[in-house]
Amino acid sequence: MFKYVLQRILYMFLVFMIITFMCFVLIRMLPLPVLPPEDKHTYQILRRREALGYNEPYLVQFWLFLKNIVTKWDWGLSEKLYFGQDVWKIFVGKLPATMIVNLYSIIWTIPVGVGLGVWAALKKNTWIDYFLSTATMVVISVPSFVYAFLVQYILCFRLHWFPFLMKGGTDYFSWDMFVSIVPPVLSLSFGVIAGFCRTTRAELTEVLTSEFMLLARTKGLTRAQATVRHALRNCFVVIVPGIFGEFIGILGGSLIIEGIFAIPGVGRLTLDAINSLDYNIFMLSTCFYTAIGLAASLVVDISYGFIDPRIRMGSKK
Amino acid sequence: MKRTLAFLLAFVMVAMALVGCNPKKGNGDDTGDVGGKNPNGSVEITEFDPNAKYTYKAAVSTVPTGWNPHTYQTADDAVYFDYTTDSLYTLFFNDEIHPQEGREAFEGYVIVPSMAADFPVDVTEAVKASHPQFNIPESATSGYAWEVTLRDGLKWQDGTPITAQDFVDSLERVLRPELINFRATDYDHGTYAVVNAEAYSHSGRYVLGEFVSAALGDDEYVDPADFTVSENGTYQVDGQDVVIDLTSGGNWGDSLLDYYNTKDAEKEEDRMPEAIINAIGALIEKADANNWVYINAETIKMVQDVIAMLHGAPNVEAYAAAPGVGDYAYQEFEEMAFLGKTWDTASFDDVGLFADGNKLTFVFANALDGFYLMTYGMSTSYLVKTDVYDKSLKPTESASGTAWSSTYGTDLDTSVSYGPYVLTEYQNGKSMHFSKNENWWGWTSDVYTYVDPDNGKCYRMYQTTDVDLQYVKEAATQKQMFLNGQLMTYGLQSNDYDDYRNSDYYYATPAETIYFLLFNGYESVINDREAAADFDKNARDLQTQMLESFRRGCAVSIDREDMAKTVSPARQGGYAFIGNTYIYDPETCAYYRDTDQAKQALVNFYSINLADYDNDLDKAVDAITGYDPETAKAKFAEAYQEALAKGYITDADNDGKSDQTVTMYYAGSGEINEFFSKTIDYLNTSLNNGAKGTGLEGKIEIVYENAGENEWNNKLRSGLLDTQLAGWSGAVLDPFSMADTWTDSSAAYWGAWYDATKHDMELTIDGEKITMSLRDWALCLNGTMTKVGDKEYNFGYGQTTVENRLTILAAIEEQMLTAYNCVPILQNGSGALLSKQVYYIVEDYNPMMGRGGIQYMKYNFSDTEWETYVQEQGGTLAY
Repeated sequence: MFKYVLQRILYMFLVFMIITFMCFVLIRMLPLPVLPPEDKHTYQILRRREALGYNEPYLVQFWLFLKNIVTKWDWGLSEKLYFGQDVWKIFVGKLPATMIVNLYSIIWTIPVGVGLGVWAALKKNTWIDYFLSTATMVVISVPSFVYAFLVQYILCFRLHWFPFLMKGGTDYFSWDMFVSIVPPVLSLSFGVIAGFCRTTRAELTEVLTSEFMLLARTKGLTRAQATVRHALRNCFVVIVPGIFGEFIGILGGSLIIEGIFAIPGVGRLTLDAINSLDYNIFMLSTCFYTAIGLAASLVVDISYGFIDPRIRMGSKK
Repeated sequence: MKRTLAFLLAFVMVAMALVGCNPKKGNGDDTGDVGGKNPNGSVEITEFDPNAKYTYKAAVSTVPTGWNPHTYQTADDAVYFDYTTDSLYTLFFNDEIHPQEGREAFEGYVIVPSMAADFPVDVTEAVKASHPQFNIPESATSGYAWEVTLRDGLKWQDGTPITAQDFVDSLERVLRPELINFRATDYDHGTYAVVNAEAYSHSGRYVLGEFVSAALGDDEYVDPADFTVSENGTYQVDGQDVVIDLTSGGNWGDSLLDYYNTKDAEKEEDRMPEAIINAIGALIEKADANNWVYINAETIKMVQDVIAMLHGAPNVEAYAAAPGVGDYAYQEFEEMAFLGKTWDTASFDDVGLFADGNKLTFVFANALDGFYLMTYGMSTSYLVKTDVYDKSLKPTESASGTAWSSTYGTDLDTSVSYGPYVLTEYQNGKSMHFSKNENWWGWTSDVYTYVDPDNGKCYRMYQTTDVDLQYVKEAATQKQMFLNGQLMTYGLQSNDYDDYRNSDYYYATPAETIYFLLFNGYESVINDREAAADFDKNARDLQTQMLESFRRGCAVSIDREDMAKTVSPARQGGYAFIGNTYIYDPETCAYYRDTDQAKQALVNFYSINLADYDNDLDKAVDAITGYDPETAKAKFAEAYQEALAKGYITDADNDGKSDQTVTMYYAGSGEINEFFSKTIDYLNTSLNNGAKGTGLEGKIEIVYENAGENEWNNKLRSGLLDTQLAGWSGAVLDPFSMADTWTDSSAAYWGAWYDATKHDMELTIDGEKITMSLRDWALCLNGTMTKVGDKEYNFGYGQTTVENRLTILAAIEEQMLTAYNCVPILQNGSGALLSKQVYYIVEDYNPMMGRGGIQYMKYNFSDTEWETYVQEQGGTLAY
């Protein structure tokens, strides 16, 4: 197991480096904005680009980029969006807002989504199942930003229940902050709940008809005990990777939600960095998302062993 | 009887109150008189309630990320300066306290010393004698050096004094060569450059300056045979290397690398021909690490050939042989070739700004005076608190050495205000909050006061106590927040106009850009297009659009105001080359369109009979709609006959209708969208309605063609596409410079078929009849000495009376209108709602002052009252 994990981490590092290098080169290959010829500032920009080494070979630039990170944990300075500012500080300053919204979203979507899925599975072929399945299909088909506008219009504008925008400041666990986070969390959650509901229902429906479930019941377990201890645990082999997948998905989905609810998070920062070709911010965001993605896949793989003892990591047999 | 009288009196009072009530102005001033006098000592200052809070709440689409005055690059970042900076001189609306001769209150503006104690004093003679290093011309007696005394009591937000030396030290930092500050060029280049500032900011560096054709003056080129050759073989002009920067197209726009990179385009039609790619590839091999190609005996031919190929010729010799090209083929590369040189090491001691006690002396590279001196020349936006600034500097190792960056103006700790407000909260990407800067001298001085035109009382400016800026991305969110009373303004979207155009709280703001409907007059190209194998001559015709009668028919078929409402509600009808926001005399805020000359030009163009309007120019101009169905019908009928006679169209079946559809291809820059679709539909409907009852009825069509983002412009200019609703604007304070653009064949869309050097115009100036070409009139109007016979003329700024300049400008405008290369259709603009919590004391928009911004904004409700009011209205307000 240990050897397997070590091996996966090494592979992960290799993939991380390849992706990082590719992104480093690709973003620099994008043409820089055309400078207006008659603007007197044009030459200051060109001089600065030269001083920053933009005209050097990519490999030279990449080597310096890596060296600064490894030796000084220096991710460079922003050249466009936050001119002259340390991109690490900017990124770290914005990370909590993104994380808190995603965390709240995940915290309540898992139990609600799985719960609805279990209910639908247990009430298979009843009106409850039909209703939930249909609703799931409808909800899952609508992108999260549509919910954002609906939530904002109904709950914030018409009913005045919530503020339009996320509260300012860094008191992430205050009541006012919580209230202001409800609209973006709701907007992000509908699709996720529907997704969990659909997956759980599909898996559980199949497991509930298995022979070992019959055996469990004949052993004297109640329906609830059999469902929770045996059926659900089997389902989690599929659901748990889904949870990590959704977490990454929500991080991606929140790029737009962050804009609509003025969440000062890293999602918006990434989009802005790409649009303005702010190399260093883009690279830090890319490395972050890549690392999260790779780490999540590793955790998912390892979690299989815990969820289902039949799965043995690194076994060659 | 008494009762009846009392009732009548009460009724009259109520009626009068209602008549005098402006719905935008609500429950009064919320003030109490506590004394104080304005500068002329005649009016008591009415103070606002000192305990009330008035917060200006606005949405921004981008929260400033950095507001270092030496490095900021965007207007979004500059928002910070609106609230936290001061200037030596500022503009106030004219009123009783700041009167302007001949103008009603709030119709114009006046210049007022702000950080300066008084107006500047010309010390040119004295400085010329004491500081020879500034090289003030021997002949100059005024305009180059100016002394300003600073006001007492200027302070930074922390209470430390602002000194004259702070200005000098700040200028040194913005220009410091190793910092490569973006804003350095604001002070070392151009009309308002401080003397020797450029030498200091470029000190010891090899710098590419302007491109050759610009460095030598307008439309000037050097015969390559006249280039000198440096020791290493590089061609030079005036001792400077001639260099092509492959990443910059200079005056061409697109760079050679842009063309080269098309080789990777997905679609074949987006790729440049292989020969061009190869030719540029060869040049790339000659470039250094900066992508610079030094022009020498070898590379000059390569560059000339590339330019020729871009024009469709195989090489420069073939290009030169084309009609009308000649030597230009060998010189055209100078439009993208820059002059480069290594600057000598320079000291800041030789830069033209020095302090003596509380006096500052400015020395400029050019003579300046009046409005331009005080507003632009003496702009001291570079002012920084140097101890904070120096701590914020940081060197960064780069692949090419060291680049310096600064964190000045990035958070609360590195921001230092010297204006009315101070930054008190900031969350990046989210919000900014400003509160009153108690150390700003203006809060306690009588300078920042005005007389309210409504009640004649004197108030302090800036009733606003706090400013709150929030990031709100979506217009829908902004609108909902506005309607819930959480924002002060809402910029209307196109689908909002039907609901809010007639609101009492709606403000329309005109903009400079005029949109013209272009016509193609490139006869040879049109003929070639018609002769092409894939063109169906039996179904379509391109030639009729060249007829003046047809163009005039089009011009009067379009109801401009209706079109604006239908297609683009923020805009309004456009009737002239120059819109109604251009100021010809910035000293007095005099509008060009208000002059008799400009009005007469329009009356002439639209064939208005002045006698029908009691010989009143104003009435006649007000009556212009540009829409005249009768004339349209007559002109289209004339065009039909003319086109038949010339063989442009046929009528084989003798039904009195053209067999062909007169077609104009609209130059689109992308896939057609709703706006273009509506525009073209409207134009097609209007033109065919205008042609009703003529042989062209139902036979006129504008067809959208996606020419691509990079090509639509070239295709219009080269006659390969015919029309567009093209926008054009100029410098708001210099309408005269626009005449240069209209008559410059390299700038105007119609340059290839309308040569302004061949159209003469006679004018009587100071009793003398002068005839010269339109192009010469335009150049002469903009300061070029022009020779007619034995006499030389210059009607540039300061060279003749303003009246003469207006006469010339209006005459050129009229001539260009009657040339019918294009017809003005729309004027750009925008519309917004203003919250009931506040109102502007000035209703009319002024291009320089807007409506006064928060400086002149007054409140109907304090924050607490507003909250209550919104709740009483159910949380959502009606506008």
